[in-house]
Amino acid sequence: MALEPRMGRRDFLSLATWAIGGLIAAAYAIPGVAYLIGPALQKAAAQNWISLGLKTKVPIGTPTLFQATIQKQTGWIVNQDEISVYVLTEDGRDYIAMSNVCTHLGCRVRWVDDQGEFFCPCHNGIYDRQGNVISGPPPRSLDRYQVQVQGDELQILGG
Amino acid sequence: MTAQLGEWLDERFGWKRVWELIFLRKIPKVNWLYTLGSATLFVAVNQIVTGILLTIYYVPTPDHAYDSVQYITSQVPAGWLIRGLHHWGASAMVVLVVIHMIRVILYGSYKYPREVTWLTGVFLLLTVLGFGFTGYLLPWDQKAYWATTVGTRIAGVMPVIGDSILKMLRGGTDLSAVTLARFYGGHVWFLPVALTGLILVHLYLVIRIGISATPERGE
Repeated sequence: MALEPRMGRRDFLSLATWAIGGLIAAAYAIPGVAYLIGPALQKAAAQNWISLGLKTKVPIGTPTLFQATIQKQTGWIVNQDEISVYVLTEDGRDYIAMSNVCTHLGCRVRWVDDQGEFFCPCHNGIYDRQGNVISGPPPRSLDRYQVQVQGDELQILGG
Repeated sequence: MTAQLGEWLDERFGWKRVWELIFLRKIPKVNWLYTLGSATLFVAVNQIVTGILLTIYYVPTPDHAYDSVQYITSQVPAGWLIRGLHHWGASAMVVLVVIHMIRVILYGSYKYPREVTWLTGVFLLLTVLGFGFTGYLLPWDQKAYWATTVGTRIAGVMPVIGDSILKMLRGGTDLSAVTLARFYGGHVWFLPVALTGLILVHLYLVIRIGISATPERGE
């Protein structure tokens, strides 16, 4: 009596069809997903030292607004972006540079000299002159840039 | 467990009968040339999947089309692969539909009762050529620009209505942003709708009527 094969020809071909089909589906799905989530995998762009202006423009104890132009690449398009940075010095030697973007939902904060605080008009977020949250919804203090002084020139790291 | 779930679903969907009718139907003894239609269908699915993926990054305007295609090819992960599959799949599509048609002619498969299957096949061939013509412009490089200039000019030499056809194809007298936009719209909306409808009718007829057997000597 011949041995009964464990798997018939029909079952084998059916299984092989499903297996090959599965491999082909995976061969599409894996690159397809990589393609779609590509932007999330991209590393942050390299940062450069950006010149803001003369340090002599910054009075002691008052945040002073500087504007700088940075190049920003989105996809295949390179844009010139204006960024605004508040620079504060307490002693004329050490400088801190703060982004004017509210840490709550990204509105622009402004320095209100009378009150001596930063104010965000969107949801009444208030920060002190060092950028620490006093009241309102912001979850953390204003973001800071790394600063260096080259001669009389203030520079921040960004890009 | 899986079998139980399958039973439960089958009671509500009745898919098993449909599955059997489509995939376990009886066919005459035929040869490998009878797989050309399925091969075409496979490449068509490839074109649909990769084409949908390409629309995620491609921008059909003169100032972005070329750069966005370069971006897909050089920056996006697996972008070179997705674009490559779509590019080579397009050529494979034309080759396959043509040899599929030759097979149908040589075996006489277009005869009664399969005339309508043949007719939908003819329109499918035209649709595929339409895809090739419109898709060729989309990378917006020199080859695309001049190929479309020449291609639309050829349509324009027809007596009496030629000039109107040329303006209709280009969306004006010259090749422009309007041309690119309408070729893109045709490529991703009009033609896919036509293709899907025609494929459904074509496949329905292939399954409903059944495929032809290989002709015998003296038949």
